[in-house]
This record gives sequence, structure tokens and C-alpha cells, in this order.
Amino acid sequence: MIKSLFVFRDALPRKTEIILGIFGFIFFLTIWHMTASSGVIRPEFLPTPFAVAQAFVRLFTERDFASDIIVSVGRVWFAFLLSVVIAVPLGLMMSTYRAVGAILEPFIDFLRYLPVPALVPLLVIWFGVGETSKIAVLWMGTFFQLILLIADDTKRVPTEYIESGHTLGASNGQIMRHIIIPAALPNMIDNLRITLGWCWTYLIIAEIVAANSGIGHMIWSLRRFVKTPEVMAGIIAIGIIGLLTDQAFRFAHARLFSYQRR
Amino acid sequence: MDKFIKVTDVTKTYWSEDGKTETKVVLPLSLTIAEGEMVMFLGPSGCGKTTLMRIIGGLEKQDQGSITLAGDLLAGPDRRRGMVFQSYSSFPWLRVRDNIKFGTRYRKDVSAAEKEEITDHYMDMVGLFAYSDFYTNRISGGMRQRVAIARTLASSPDILLMDEPFGALDAQTREHLQFQLMDINKSEKKTTIFVTHDVEEAILLADRVVIFSARPARVVKEIDVNAVIPAEDRRNNTADMQKFFSLRNEILKIIRAEYRQTMETI
Ligand SMILES: Nc1ncnc2c1ncn2[C@@H]1O[C@H](COP(=O)(O)OP(=O)(O)OP(=O)(O)O)[C@@H](O)[C@H]1O
Ligand SMILES: [Mg+2]
Repeated sequence: MIKSLFVFRDALPRKTEIILGIFGFIFFLTIWHMTASSGVIRPEFLPTPFAVAQAFVRLFTERDFASDIIVSVGRVWFAFLLSVVIAVPLGLMMSTYRAVGAILEPFIDFLRYLPVPALVPLLVIWFGVGETSKIAVLWMGTFFQLILLIADDTKRVPTEYIESGHTLGASNGQIMRHIIIPAALPNMIDNLRITLGWCWTYLIIAEIVAANSGIGHMIWSLRRFVKTPEVMAGIIAIGIIGLLTDQAFRFAHARLFSYQRR
Repeated sequence: MDKFIKVTDVTKTYWSEDGKTETKVVLPLSLTIAEGEMVMFLGPSGCGKTTLMRIIGGLEKQDQGSITLAGDLLAGPDRRRGMVFQSYSSFPWLRVRDNIKFGTRYRKDVSAAEKEEITDHYMDMVGLFAYSDFYTNRISGGMRQRVAIARTLASSPDILLMDEPFGALDAQTREHLQFQLMDINKSEKKTTIFVTHDVEEAILLADRVVIFSARPARVVKEIDVNAVIPAEDRRNNTADMQKFFSLRNEILKIIRAEYRQTMETI
């Protein structure tokens, strides 16, 4: 039976995969619990999973964690969508008109290697500690990556599709709308999913440096009182939100692009 | 002879990235094709058949010379020249029927209702009704190629350009499609240029075979196959095999000689 789980590159039934996933979690929690309750590590450093779970509940009941989550999610999505609405058209243009690509590529390549955390002080000088600077951090962190990913996705659309379009009488605009975008869409959506994940990394940095609300702020202020269970609960909350978003994206992807399934 | 397509003194040279070495692919080359004619291009590998075909299709620009279709000077691709590629160019995000219907999408000469009829007509012609709602990654390679052919026909091009369309298929599927193409050719009388490496395929399908030299491509021989073996006999599998094989050997001999030249110049 165990052997049937380890067939080289074979697929598994969906149910088995879910069970194995849950098993992985339980395994990890057990190790954690055993380590924490053995007394080898002081509870200020490593509380038990139960202490963290209790802290998780306390965050919501005593500290209004829900509104922090709403604030953080709002920031992430606002900045993300702001990136998307600019990066997608620009990425399409970059891959369509060589001149646009030639102008933008070197510049973006340079910008995208600037470490975003290093830009935070500058952005705070420019925009203060308000919402603008946090959105700016998230935007800087995602926009330049996204634009190159989108350009790449559209460049990879097979030439035959585009040439077929021409010989079927499509105009350039029609080829863009009816062929290039549908052909590149699955990869684009996947890249949006990945980019949204990065947004969370930059969000926490932004909220730690300059914020009086949000998940990052909450975690950072609890740290001062060595409320390790609450800090860990906050981190786990980010993980859960990330996991849910990711799964939602994957689910939508599977539904929208069911034709990719073989 | 009716000069429906007229290729006049076309040349094409490719330059390497650094612009230092040139590859002459097509020398001044002239060729005429009559309306409704099925012309097969044969020639050693790398001689420039695809290049010439793509120039005729408007997907590649010649350096010199001109191409006219029914008297109109051609430049750039349009719906008058339909192309079927060797790789499967059907769209994976569309179902089989929608793929074929896509061929009618940019036609202004027919109504929406007629587009449905045209789609059904070609669905039927390539025998894909049972797969109407399948996405193209769930049908076989041969079916995908039929989708591509039907889609191109649905766009009603004046000429059909096919670059080794059956090259990647197994022998049985290939034969099946060859006969299907002969049927289509009989009912539609579509002017067709068809590139192949398969001499028997060329003889089977051709009105005329054009054999190219090693690169740079020029026409070494043109053979009017109808004069040797009537089309009717080939379609009905009643061709005189003696004539068939002697024609095949004659063509192979020419191609071999050209091929040897290719190897010597490398
Ligand atoms: N875009 C290109 N840039 C540079 N050289 C090219 C390009 N396209 C084709 N060539 C060269 O032109 C020559 C002719 O190529 P072409 O594809 O037309 O040959 P072909 O007759 O179709 O060959 P095959 O029978 O193998 O398909 C080849 O030597 C090829 O290397
Ligand atoms: Mg070729």
C-alpha cells in the first residue's frame, strides 16, 4: 500500500493528496509540540501549539485583530491591483512593439534589482508614514517584476498562432484581443498569483517600519512585550491568508482554464 | 496558361546576427500557378521551400521581385492566402467547432448564420462532428491538423499554403488525410501549394510537381503529373503502378543529385 504512493512520477487521487497534506501538517505540529513541551527551549522562545492557538483567539477577542487583517488585506489588494492595471498593458506593449521593449527593459531590469526594503527610507521621506508610502513600497516591489513577467508571457505565445491570425484576416488589434491575450492568459494569471504572494512580504516590511495598524504593526508591537504566542499567531494568520488566496487563485485557474487539463 | 499566382524574380538572403555572413536562400526565382491547381514543392532539405512559401503567404518579405495574385501585387499576410503549418496551430482555448468557426470570424462577405453553415460544412468535410465540443489538447495530432485545415478553408482563402502539414503524422493517418485532401480538392478546386518531403505524397496529390535545387532555391524541374497519371486514377487507387514508380524514381534521382550538392557545399 505504501509502495503504491511512491510510483515514479505517477499521479495520486485527489483525496489521497489531501490526506497526505493534512498528515504533513499534523506531523509538523506534533514535532513542534513535543519540542516545546519537553522544556528544552523556554516557552518565551517556543510556546506550544496550544498556547499559540489560544493567543490566536485572544488576538481577535481582545485586540481587534480582524480590523488589522482588513487593513492589511486592503493595502495588499489595492497596491496589487494598481500594479496590475499598469503592468499588464505596458507588458503587452513591451512584447508587441520592440521599441517600447528596448526603451523600458534596461531601465526596469535596473530598478528590479534594487532591494525594496532599501527603498523604504526614501519612500518615507517622500510620502511620510501615511498610507501612500506603504502602497508605494508594495507597488515598487511588484510592478517591475510583473511587467517583465507579463511581457515574457506574451512573447512566448507561439508564432504560429499569430501568423494564423494574420492569414485568417485578423487585424493587429484583433490578434491582440482574440489570440495573444487568450493564449497568454493562463500563464499571466499564474504570475499574478505569484506576485500577489510577494506583496505580503513587502507589506510586513512596510508595516513594521511605518504603520499604526495592520498585521505587521500588530506583530511588531507585541514583540516588545515578548508576547511570543501572539507574534507566532500573527505570523500564522498571514500564512493562512496567503494559503487561502493562493488556493482561490488555483481554483479559479483550474475552472477558467479547464482546457489545459489533459 | 492562366497565371493566377505569379512569382517574378523573387530573391531572399538571410544575414547572420553579426551581419557578416550571408545565406542566399532564394535566387531570382519565377513561377506561375493556375487557378485551382495543386502544386507540390519538392527539394532537398534546407533549400528554401518554407522560405518561398512564407514569402508567397506574406509572412516573410522578399528582398527583390514581386508576387501577384489575380493581378494584385501582394505585400503582407491577409485572408486571401490561408496557411496550414506543420505544427498544430489550432487554438487550445477553443473547442474543435469554435476553432473551425474562428476561420470565419473576420469574414465580412457572409452573415452570422452563413458562418454557422460554413462551420458545419467544414466540420463535416473533415469528419469531426463527434468531437465538436472537445478541446484540441484532447484530440489526436491528426485530428488537430484536420482542425487547422478546416479552419483555414472556412476563412475562404484564394490559395491554400501547406508546409509539410502531414509531416508529423503516422502513416495511416497521413494516408487518410491525403485522400481527404484529394476529396476536398475535387469538390472545392482550391489553388494549393503544398510542401512535402514525401515523393509519393507529391505524386499522389499533385497536378504539378515543382522540384527545387539545393540552396539557393531555383526550379530544376516541373512535372505535369496529370499528363503521366490521370488524377482520377490516383484518387481511385487505380493508377498504373509502373508509371507511378518510374515517375517516383525520376523525381528521387533529381532530388538526390541536388542533395549531394548540398552536402558538398557544407
Ligand atoms: N530566419 C532565418 N534566419 C536565417 N536563416 C534562415 C532563416 N530561416 C531560414 N533560414 C535558412 O534558410 C535556408 C532555407 O530554409 P527553409 O526553411 O526555407 O528550407 P526548407 O526547404 O523548407 O527546408 P526543409 O525541407 O528542411 O523544411 C536554411 O539554410 C535556413 O537555415
Ligand atoms: Mg521547410
